[in-house]
Amino acid sequence: MPFDPLELLSNFIAALRSSVSPRTVRNLRREFDRSVLAKLGLVLVAFVVVLAVFAPLIAPWNPMGQDLDSKQQPPLGFSRAETQTGQEMVNDSLVITNETVFVNATTAHPLGTDGLGRDMLSRVIYGARTSLLVGLLGTLLAMALGVPTGLVSGYYSGRVDDVLMRIADVSLAFPSLVLAIALVGLWGEAGVTVPDPFVVTGLAPAIRSALSLPGGLSYPTGMPEQFTLPGTVIVVVGLVNWVWFARVARGEALSVREEEYVTAAESIGAPDRFIIRKHVLPNSVTPILVLATIQVAAIILLESALSFLGFSGTTLSWGFDIAQGRQYQTTSWWIAAMPGIAIVVTVIGINLIGDWLRDALDPDIEGEGGGV
Amino acid sequence: MASMGRFLLKRALQGLVVIWGVVTVVFLLRYVTPGSPVDFIAPLDASQATRQRIANNLGLNRPLYLQYVEYVVDLFSGDMGYSYRSRTPVRPRVFAKLPATLELALSATVVAVMLSIPLGVVSATRRHSPADYGATLFSLLGISTPNFWLGVMLVIVFAVQFDVFPTSTRPVGLVQTIGNLVVIAGPEQGYALPLNVSGFLSDLRTWLLYITLPAITLGTYFTALITRLTRSGMLDQLGQGYVRAARAKGIPETLVRYRHALRNTLIPVITVVGLQLGTLIGGAVITEAVFDWPGLGSLVIDAIGNRDWPLIQGCLVVIGAGFVLVNIVVDALYATLNPQVMD
Repeated sequence: MPFDPLELLSNFIAALRSSVSPRTVRNLRREFDRSVLAKLGLVLVAFVVVLAVFAPLIAPWNPMGQDLDSKQQPPLGFSRAETQTGQEMVNDSLVITNETVFVNATTAHPLGTDGLGRDMLSRVIYGARTSLLVGLLGTLLAMALGVPTGLVSGYYSGRVDDVLMRIADVSLAFPSLVLAIALVGLWGEAGVTVPDPFVVTGLAPAIRSALSLPGGLSYPTGMPEQFTLPGTVIVVVGLVNWVWFARVARGEALSVREEEYVTAAESIGAPDRFIIRKHVLPNSVTPILVLATIQVAAIILLESALSFLGFSGTTLSWGFDIAQGRQYQTTSWWIAAMPGIAIVVTVIGINLIGDWLRDALDPDIEGEGGGV
Repeated sequence: MASMGRFLLKRALQGLVVIWGVVTVVFLLRYVTPGSPVDFIAPLDASQATRQRIANNLGLNRPLYLQYVEYVVDLFSGDMGYSYRSRTPVRPRVFAKLPATLELALSATVVAVMLSIPLGVVSATRRHSPADYGATLFSLLGISTPNFWLGVMLVIVFAVQFDVFPTSTRPVGLVQTIGNLVVIAGPEQGYALPLNVSGFLSDLRTWLLYITLPAITLGTYFTALITRLTRSGMLDQLGQGYVRAARAKGIPETLVRYRHALRNTLIPVITVVGLQLGTLIGGAVITEAVFDWPGLGSLVIDAIGNRDWPLIQGCLVVIGAGFVLVNIVVDALYATLNPQVMD
């Protein structure tokens, strides 16, 4: 069985390791030293990754903790005018008074609070987990589906290639967002609950007090013990985006199979699976890696769009918060603004890393994968 | 242009195969979805017999291949079936929503092409100038911003804070606007010309007010993407030998840039734009959700929520077929710029 996706994935990782030649490393380093933007990209992504991994240690509040007394608090530097309606007895008759009061920002909630008094900063920090995990797992799935298909298609060309490429055409004819909405909407929004290692082991409060991180008033109730992964969304974004990997892998396979070393391997009777694994795959690694980087960004955008439209499996996601913020758009702009800024920062970081890899390794990719 | 005709015919045939594939996938989607459509139609307390009758009426108990053949035959004769929910024919509902989506997608494309190509050219010909840095920053931001968030922010700034643009459902479409100018003269009207210019102008104003924010929302990603591609493509082309030869011959710089370099730059740009059209259609769906835009996107999202299968299938088939058609147009454009592909 030469087309086992899991086996090819592990081969891909092995190929990745072996294809990082000293020359590649040198190119990467030279481009990195030269480019300010590449450094910025790495800093941004590292920042978001740290937030996502250590969310229970960094977030000042429980992102789910509601506090209706401090709802719709503005972020630092802003205030919000609110009309308070009261009743007063004037000369034995009831008079309704309207009074404008200003709600001021507090340092307890630097980015403000949402309509239920949940801390925006904590929600933004926890939202990074959803985005990054969906981005990574979705890309891995798309890769596991697309790369073997593309390699086999390009290597054998002919009839197999025709059929697979027509399938790819059909798959491209559905805009990925439309197909994703349809699939998530129809298959249901299954969530996978994962226990949070920092909280379950009791490490989170210990580390926080050891580092004397600000605990927040709600901290005694703790951070969420588990974390919900939007399972259907991950499967769907992988299914929807495989075709980009198939196209790139196929293009590489088509060109590599014309090389003399492949002809030589064929002539001494090397089996096809050996040739695909030892020759075609290692030579396709660089463009696939660059595409994967861009795809992580594209999938993060896709996930945020899905959760914005309410097709998600979790309520702790940047897109979901933007949708919540729309309900308060006339009074509290920050509820929609903050998670959006987080998305832009993350995606810019990933795109800058993608540019860096592309400039340093110079693969020839035509499709970018698409944003939302 | 005989070869162009043959090229287009070949593309059209391939397109038909893809549309057939789209139809098949759309048909099969129902059968890989858990739950029977009957659950969404029958009342909660319906008896088993009632459920059976509904399933029979919908033809759900017949063999799958028969349902498939019937579905395809009906579709190609223009029958998309009846909505489960409103019990009205699907086709007129889908096509009634199509103009709004097309207007949105076209406006966004026009704005994107008109802004991005000059921006990319300026950026490439004046490297390291403030204009170049500005364009680069804009395109980086543009490809990294989710368009629905941009839409929400535009609403907050321009509709809520400054009240410049409306955000309610639009009262008038382009078809209706242009309808003011169309004369349907007949004996009953005494051949008088009901040419309603003032009505046209006021409708046009309304139409423009309503489409501005959605078109910016949808067009920004594309503007940014094409700017980026034009810039890097131009830089590539301006370093080529033929550009130096053209300059050496004394051809004016403007001509060198626009006639030679830009033309060759556009070839890869068009390839990528063609590949990204799906993004435009997907983007239209979510833009419609933000602006309450009465198009296909809002229709399909509602239909999915209601499990209204004939309506879902109708929308998806039209979206898929539209994508294939636009791609054929893009291919024709590509072939005009680069006749080599026709061989």
